[in-house]
This record gives sequence, structure tokens and C-alpha cells, in this order.
Amino acid sequence: MYQEYSIKYSAKNRYETLVNDAYWQFLIIPEDNKSQQLVSWEFANSLNDIHQTSINGFGFKTIRVHPGQKFNEISFEASFTVIKKEVNPFDFSLPQDSTADCAKLDDLNFQIDFEPFLRKTRFTSLSESYTNIFPFDRDKTIFENIQSLNKWISKYLSFQPGVTDVNTPLDTIIKEKQGVCQDFTHLFCALARKNKVPARYVSGYLHQGHGYFGDSQMHAWAEAYIPDVGWLGFDPTNNLLANTNHVKVCHGKDYTDCSPLKGVVYAPGENTTIHSVKVLSEQQQ
Amino acid sequence: MLARVANNLFWMGRYIERSEHMARYLNVNYFSSLDAPNQLSQSRQFVLRSMLFMVGDAEEDESVELNEDEVLQKIALDHECGYSIINNVKYARENANSARDLISTELYEAINKFYHFILNYPVDVFVKRGLYDFTINVTEMTAILRGKIRGTLLHDEVYAIIMMGINMERANQIIRIINAKYNDALKAQGSYGDKFSHSFEWSTLLKCAESYDMMRRFYKKTPTSITTLEFLILNPNCPRSIMNSLNQVYKHIRVLDPSKKYNKNSTAFLVGRVRSEYEYKYIEEIESNIKNFIDTLLKELIQISKKMEKEFFNY
Amino acid sequence: MVRSVENRYIKGKENSMDNLENQIFASYQRNPDLFDEIFDENGVVKDVYKTLFNLYGGHSIQDYVRLNEKAKSSFFNQGITFQVYGEKDAKEKIFPFDLFPRIIDTAEWDIIERGSIQRSRALNLFLWDIYHDKKILKQGIVPLELVSSSDNYLHQMMNVNPPGGIYNHISGTDVIKHTDGNYYVLEDNIRCPSGVSYVICNRTALKRALFGVFNHYQTHTVTNYAENLLDLLETVKPKGIDIPNTVVITPGMYNSAFYEHSYLAKTMGVELVEGRDLFVENDFVYMKTIQGPERVDVIYRRIDDLFIDPLEFRPDSALGVPGLFAAYKKGNVTLANAPGTGVADDKAVYTYMPEIIKYYLDEEPIIKNVHTYHCSRPDELKYVLEHISELVIKPVDEAGGYGISIGNRLSKEEVEEVKKQVAQNPRKYVAQPIMSLSVHPTYIDENESFEQRHIDLRTFTVLGKDREFVLKGGLTRVALKKGNLIVNSSQGGGSKDTWVLKD
Repeated sequence: MYQEYSIKYSAKNRYETLVNDAYWQFLIIPEDNKSQQLVSWEFANSLNDIHQTSINGFGFKTIRVHPGQKFNEISFEASFTVIKKEVNPFDFSLPQDSTADCAKLDDLNFQIDFEPFLRKTRFTSLSESYTNIFPFDRDKTIFENIQSLNKWISKYLSFQPGVTDVNTPLDTIIKEKQGVCQDFTHLFCALARKNKVPARYVSGYLHQGHGYFGDSQMHAWAEAYIPDVGWLGFDPTNNLLANTNHVKVCHGKDYTDCSPLKGVVYAPGENTTIHSVKVLSEQQQ
Repeated sequence: MLARVANNLFWMGRYIERSEHMARYLNVNYFSSLDAPNQLSQSRQFVLRSMLFMVGDAEEDESVELNEDEVLQKIALDHECGYSIINNVKYARENANSARDLISTELYEAINKFYHFILNYPVDVFVKRGLYDFTINVTEMTAILRGKIRGTLLHDEVYAIIMMGINMERANQIIRIINAKYNDALKAQGSYGDKFSHSFEWSTLLKCAESYDMMRRFYKKTPTSITTLEFLILNPNCPRSIMNSLNQVYKHIRVLDPSKKYNKNSTAFLVGRVRSEYEYKYIEEIESNIKNFIDTLLKELIQISKKMEKEFFNY
Repeated sequence: MVRSVENRYIKGKENSMDNLENQIFASYQRNPDLFDEIFDENGVVKDVYKTLFNLYGGHSIQDYVRLNEKAKSSFFNQGITFQVYGEKDAKEKIFPFDLFPRIIDTAEWDIIERGSIQRSRALNLFLWDIYHDKKILKQGIVPLELVSSSDNYLHQMMNVNPPGGIYNHISGTDVIKHTDGNYYVLEDNIRCPSGVSYVICNRTALKRALFGVFNHYQTHTVTNYAENLLDLLETVKPKGIDIPNTVVITPGMYNSAFYEHSYLAKTMGVELVEGRDLFVENDFVYMKTIQGPERVDVIYRRIDDLFIDPLEFRPDSALGVPGLFAAYKKGNVTLANAPGTGVADDKAVYTYMPEIIKYYLDEEPIIKNVHTYHCSRPDELKYVLEHISELVIKPVDEAGGYGISIGNRLSKEEVEEVKKQVAQNPRKYVAQPIMSLSVHPTYIDENESFEQRHIDLRTFTVLGKDREFVLKGGLTRVALKKGNLIVNSSQGGGSKDTWVLKD
């Protein structure tokens, strides 16, 4: 069983003053992995400048644009065709001994190997008062704990676009109890890491055909590392395990490592950016 | 050579040259006005207005009474004033700073000394009794710099770019000075029967370009509008003439672009074209419509500058 | 004028060879508790300094006043200046230069040179390990915390093999001599250590002022730094390049070390570029020249890690080059020092240097480490809080001598304030016993006399592929304020020419 998606990403940047020089880097190409296959992709910009591809510091493919002319406005269009395989996320057996399972997290080698995804980052730091907001139950397996964390976050926060932005600290989100997928994911990562479970931020596309929460932009969810199983995707915004509706682009420690569009623009004055994402399911077999 | 550094060197040359012409303009106009033959040319207001006109900051309102100390300080030593001599020297030094790995220690040290001299010049001394000393020092120090440029740098691209800057600026400044003095001569005519073509201002103009003595030697006559303009614009042997400046620019751009191919889009082509145009001009054509000549030449110089920027200084 | 000074030397030499009561040291006050580099505990001039002492003794203090003025204006006219941070009107200052040189004999230098190389090598192996197998962490020799809490531990560098296997191509090791007569390392600087240009300028300045003194000593040259640096950088060029195009990248002319950047570019004969002079296309780096783009293969960077590429690290960096890191990772350009090197330039890593040297080289440290208390360890934190007046408290991540508190100089209120800060953020601080830096006669401008002042020494080590180079000289920094132990230029320090004697 598989599902084919056609994804359209577009961004439009408008600048108050003429831009002399600019570099953009897009991190929007779906990755090829066990559960998904990138069939084809296209990219174009309104100035008809040539784009390049490169690999960023974390090994993900990026698209780069460096216009050879001055401009006030530029728009980008990308389209991807992805085949997503139907994978059963529960296709493993839970360990019998939950104490032994949890003890794996205390192993030094484990902590060293997964250090990047256990560290506190700018977006995954909690102040002292919140560090025990969700303690793990060591009588349960890691997977069960993570699953309850996923559920707990989805209940604790309500999905509310427009009240937070990329720079809202986690403490404010906990206090206000609302946010968007990014905030859900950062909280997930922070609490999983707090309980010694490696967790990473995932950026990608969500097919919203099933009434899932998200908006017309890129989606974010998390992956947690379950010893003896591997990385598993959790979508705390929708209280789900990542499934065929989730098309992954990349992962990182937090949003900073995954931001879909990075730009260096040499121009004074204000600018506006409008992004939009459409995910269409082409066919089902 | 890096395009940015080339741009800095070009501007270093321009700022050095600019400060010299400004300083000399202040000096010559102020001191020759003290015993000028007609009343208007002797008037302090007239001289101060001429100075502001030359630096491109003309006071349009005839009723304004200019303050001598303020005007002199503004043009020479005002940190806040973008075109002041002190800022020109500061920019020249900053440009030299960014390229100091390419220029000689001797040149750098001379620029640095020049900067510290101006920086430490007391404003009150300058406006009360230092005008002569200050302006003479500026012109002499720029002469030292030109000597160091010629005498201590490798005559390669670096040298060519600095010389292009110096000569582009010289052409610009000479045309500005001509413009200012032409303007003064127009205003001053009539008083005491002083005619435009025999105005006292032509001698001043020649002195502003350090060309008075040689002009006298060449023509053996009192300067008139025609002879002065011919000497300063068309005489290729007068080092300060427009013609010589254009010839120098052309010579140095050839170092950067030695191509012999016909390329009408290159800067060298444009400079060559402008240069040949003046090489075969009658001074009478120019004198009959000086205003038009000045505007055209300024426009052409801007075009050359823009082209240079695109071709060599694009970073 | 210089010639007449030279004549005086000869005269001075004849007249006062055995006369130690020389005039310029008449007012020299020797504190017997401090280690004086030129006088022994009985006040007798040490052998190696004897000739110099007599030569200098042939001068009157007025000669020094004049020579000193000349040296100062020479630095100023040459534009060998720097700007101090934190002042409203950042003024240009010269780095004060002292006319009395420091001499290091062959035996002592041997220790310093071998010790500097040993540390640079060990740090390089440490960096390779923490970006690859992480054995030293897994074996529990260095705590994971040490790297995981550092912003300079760049995950982008994980499993990246820098060309030639070198991370810290250029290191600056700060050493001092304690009252016990032994050298100790205070710091390893492997981000963008600066100061090497002053070593050469000081030598030039001393030669100009008093060239006669060089006739009496066999001193190693210091002017070969740039050529060695360039040679060694070329050993780590990208694959497939015959003659690499090397550049120095600077944050720009307003940077306090700009003079040094331009000096190095000039003496290496390479371009000095800023970020905006470079661009990346298809993962290759080019510079914008008047003849169009030209490929760049090796970059000696004087920009901190996090600023080199706004697309990969700090997005607000206007100093870097968009796309540079990807080009580096692809092996198309060499960066020196390698990105991610900063993690080992940390006062907390310093404290593990004996363990690091032992682990990778199976050697004991040739130059000692100052014992360090980690405030992150509860028992050591307790000791530090109880003994603050006997310790120097240092923040682990500040450079340039900022934020250092010296326990016995603090008022009661200040002690409480420091205690509070340390207790609030123990990971941020380490503490060390107050080391007494050795002292050296130094000409003090305002008193017009020679006085004892504390000194240290920064050595410069360059690592290449299978080769290394230590500049035989180094920068002796002097704390010009009486009793002051902080020698950084930003904190009112000066410097001396440093002579390493040949056998």
C-alpha cells in the first residue's frame, strides 16, 4: 500500500527598498528514506535566476538562490511528488522489563552517542519551575512514557495560530497553554530530553485531508529515539504517531536547524514574506 | 586584486586629489580677493559664496549674510560636514587602511601622518590665523603623497587604479573650479569696466589650478577667457588640464584592460571616445557655450565613473 | 642620532662592565617575594642578562625618555594601533612597547617549545576524537558535560575530516613563570589567537632604537613566521589543487586586530579579504577581483566560528560568506582554524589538559597546568566559595581578560557579589590559585624610571600536515600598572621584544 502526494511550496518576498544582493537557502525538499520516496521535484523563481543545490551541515539537501539582478519582489515555487509507503508505526514488541528498558537511558555511551538530541537548545530550554512538569514513570517502558507525553502535550496545549512566533520562549508557551505545531514540538523535545530520551525536531509536510491540525505552512513534529527500536515519529499537535500523512524534509535539534527558508538580504527597510504549502493526495492504491 | 580593494584605492586617489583642490581654492580665492581690482571681487561675501559654490553647497539666498569663520570651518575642519577637507583626508586614510597590504609602508605612513596633522589642527587657530598655513600644508602634503605613490609603488594595477582615481578627480575638480570662476566672472563683469573676457577672475582661476605661471610663459599675455579656458581644458601639456587628465585616465585604464579588440561596451572605449572628442575641439566652440560644455563634460565623467564601477569595482 | 647612541654603547661597555651600580637602575626597587627575571634572590644580575644590563647602564635616563618617545611615534605613524572595546569614543591606541627586552635562554626555550607543540598536538587529537569516535568521553576521562554544554561544539562538524586531519592550525599558548621558577600554562588560545604581528613589530622597533645591543647576543629571528604559516597552510590544501590560492579573511578595518590581519596578508603575499569579497557557487569559493571571479582554496580566518556562514550558523552575521560551510564540508576549501575548534578553547577544557595529553600522547605535560577548581563540581564549588580571597575566578567563555576577579583584590562587597554570581551559575566559572607572574624591569613612562612589572608570554604554534612550527620568540606582555597581574592589551598591558638565544 502506498500513497502519492503532490506538494506545492510557494513563497513571495516583497521589499520596501531595492535589494542589491541576496542569498536564500531553502530546506524544503522531502528526504528519501525507508517510508518515503521522492519521485520528482521542480523549483523556479520569478526572476528566472538559476538555482543550485547543496548539502547543509546536517546532511540535508538545500536549494540556493543568488539573484544576479536588483529587485523589489521575488517569488519562489517548488513542487514535489512523493510516494509514501504505508508503515505500521506499532510494528515492534514492547520490552518486558520496563525498569531495564529505562535504565538504558542512563548509559554513558548512549548519552554520548545521542548528545546532540539530548542537549538543551535555545528553543528547548525550560526554566527551573517547569522541569518537572512531566516526569516519566519508570514502571512503564520508554515507548509508553513517550506516548503519554505526546498525548499530554496535545491536551495541555491548544492549537492557536497567530499568538506565538518563532521567538516565543517555551516558558511563555507553557504559561499561555497555546501555540502552533512548532511550539508543541519544542515542548515535546524539551520534556523528552529532560527525561533522557533523545528527541529531534522534524520539519515536513502534513496532508491535512483528515482534519488534522496544522496550517497552510510547513508542519513540525518530533522523533524520539526508542532503544532497540530506533527513531519514531510523534505528532504532539495531533496526538498521533507520524504516519503516511507526514512527509519528512529534515530533522535537527530544534527549529533553528530546520528553518525552511534562510536568507541573507542586503537591503534596508521592511520586508514581507508570504509562504504557502499545499499537499494533495494524488491517488491511493 | 579584489574589486572592493580596487574601489577603495580608486577612491583613496580621488579623496587625496579632492582635498588638494579644495584647500587651494580656499587659499587662492581668499588671498587674491584681499587686493582684487574691483569691489565685488574684493567683497568677503562674494568670496565665501564662491567657495560654497565650488564645493557644491551654494547658498542660493542672496539675502543671507555668511559668517566667515563658519564657512571656513565647515569646508576645512567640520567633522559633521560630508565634503569637508578633514573628512576627505579621513576617507582617504580609511581607504588606504583597507588596502594597506597592497601599498608601500612609505605611502601608508605619509597618509597617516597627513591625517594626524589635520586631525590635530586646532579649529580656532585655523579660522583666526591658520588659513594660509593649513591650506599650504594640505597642498604640500598631497604633493608628497603623489610623490610616494609614483616613487614607492610598483607601477602595476594598484598604481594604475590610484592614478585613475586621481585623474578622474582632477578632471572633476578642474571643471568645478572653472564652473565656479566662470560664475564669478559673470557676476563681477561690468563693475569698474571690467569685461567678462578680461576679468580678474581668470587669473584667479589659473592660480586655483596652479597653472598661472606656465600659462603666462606659454601665451606671454594677460589671461583672457579664451586663453585661460584653452590652456586649462585643451592643452595636453598642462598637467592640470582636462585634456591631460583624460589622457592619463586612458593610459592607466589600458593597464587594466590591455585588450586591443573593438569593444564598444568597455570603459576604455568610452574614455578613449571622450578623450578624442576634446583632442580635436576648437576653444571657440567651447567658449561660445561654456555652460553647456561644463554640463556635458560632467555628465561624461559620471558615465565613465559608472562604467568603471560596473567593470572593475563590482563586489 | 642612532649612531651616537651606538657609540655610547661601546663606551658604556668599556666603562661599566663591572660596575653594577648603573645609573638607570639606581631607583629600581626589587620586591624579594617576586621572581625577578634578571636579578637573582641576592640582587645579582643573572648571567644571561649581564651584558645587556651593562649596555643599558651606559645610558642616561634622558636617553630612554627620548628613545621611548621616538618608538611611540614610530608605532603611531606606522598605524600599528588597535581600538579598545567598550569606550564610547573608541580611540586608536598603540600597544605600549617596552625598550628593555626579555631574554629566554636555550634550555628554557626548549621546554616552552616542546611544551607548546605537545599541547597543540594533544588538542588536535582531542578535537578529532570528540568529532568522531568520542573515545575520551566514553571512557569517562573527560566529562560529556564539557562539550555538550558548549555552544562551540558544532554538530555540523561531526564526522567531518578536515584536510590533513588538522583542526587547530594556529594556537597561541599563554605561559607564565611562577615564584617557584617553573613555567605554567595559563591558557590555550585556539580560536583566533592574535599578537604575532606585535612580536615582529617589537623586534623592528627595538632594532631601530637600539640596534647595537643585537651585536652582543645571538638571537633567533622572528620574521620567518609568515612564510612558515603559509607553507604549513599549504600542506592542508584541498585535494586536487597544485598551488593553492590562500587568503586571509578579516572582519574588517574596524576590528581591533585589523593591523595584524593586513600585516599577515602582506607578509604572506596573499589577499586580505572580507566576507563580502567572497561568494560561493556550486560549493566552490571565489573572490571578486577586478578581472572577475578567482577561486580560493585555503582561508586563514580571523572570524569566529559562528560568524563564518550566515546560512549555517548565526543568521545575523554580516561578516561571513553565505554557503562557505557547505563548500568546506565538501572539501573544496580549507578553513584554518577548522570550524568547531573553539570547543577546545575553553577554560574548562584547559583544566583537563594533563588528562588529555596523557590520553592521546601518553606523556606528562612538559609545561605544567595551573591547578583548577571546577565550580561545576559541588565539592570544588564549596572550596571556591570558602577561599575566594586566595583564588582567581574566571568565566570560562570570555576572552581578553574580561570578567576576571582576583580574590585578594576584592572588597568585602565585591567578594559577596562574586560569590553570588558563581553560586548562581557555577558552570560558567573556574577558579585557580593566584599565580604570581614573574617580574621584569620595565621602563615606566610617567615615572621616567625602570620598575618591576609582571609579565607573561604568548607562544605561537602552527600545525600542518606532519609538520609543525613554533615561532622562536613569542609575545611577552607586561602589566604596566604596578602590581597588576592582567597583561591583556585591552586591560592596559604593554609588550616587550622577546629574545630566544641560539646555542
